[in-house]
Amino acid sequence: MVKIYEDYKDHADFLTVYVREAHPTDEWQMKSNVKEDVCYAQPKTLEQRIAIANDFVKRFKYPTQFGIDDMSNAANDAYAAWPERVYIIEQGRIAYRGGMGPFNYHPEEARAWLAAHYGEVKHEAPASAPDKSGAGTKSN
Amino acid sequence: MRGRELLKWVGVGVGLLIVAVVIGLSVMAGGLGGAYGMVRYALPHMHRGTLRVGDVAPDASLLALDGSSRFHIRERTGARPLVIVFGSYT
Repeated sequence: MVKIYEDYKDHADFLTVYVREAHPTDEWQMKSNVKEDVCYAQPKTLEQRIAIANDFVKRFKYPTQFGIDDMSNAANDAYAAWPERVYIIEQGRIAYRGGMGPFNYHPEEARAWLAAHYGEVKHEAPASAPDKSGAGTKSN
Repeated sequence: MRGRELLKWVGVGVGLLIVAVVIGLSVMAGGLGGAYGMVRYALPHMHRGTLRVGDVAPDASLLALDGSSRFHIRERTGARPLVIVFGSYT
C-alpha cells in the first residue's frame, strides 16, 4: 500500500484506519508474528491501541494520514473492515469496495482503480545485479 | 431397519463433513491450533458487510496518533478521492 501511496499521492488522499488486532498474542497468534517480533495482546483500552499504532508507524515510517478506531470499533463495524480492507471514497460515496481480508484483500485493485482514473505509474526495473533480499514489509 | 441404515449413513456423512472442515481449516490456518483460533477469534469478527459501490460512505470518529485530537472520516473527503486502508499491526 505504501508504494500505491507513493505513486498516487499527488492525485488522491490516503487514510489508514487502525482497527482491532488481527493476530494478538492472547487470541489467534500466527507463527509469522513471533518471527517478525510483532507480539501484542488485544488492546483492552484505547491507550493500548494508540501505543501499538504508534509502534507500527515508527517501525515502518508509515507515511499516510492515520486514524485510530475507538474501542467501540465504530469505523470497523461501519466498513466491515476487520482484519484488513481497502475502500475508495469519491464525492462522499463508495467508489471502490475491496474484498474482505486476508484472502480477498487485493490492494492492486485499488491501484487499478487509481490507474484507470489517473494513469498507470510504471517503475523501471533497476539495471543492477539481481536483488537477493527476499524479505520485505507490506509495501504493495 | 431402513430407517436405522439411513441414520447410520447420515451419521457417517456428517462425521466425514466435520473431518473435512477441520482438515480444511487446519490447512488454511496452519494447524489445528490455528483452526481453533480462526473459529474462536476470527470468524465472529469477519463480516462481508453491506456497503456497495455507490452507497454513501459511512462516517466515523477517529483518534489521531497523538492520542488526543480527533477527526471524522468525512473531514478527510474532499475534491480528491480518499483511499482508506483498514488494518492493524499484527
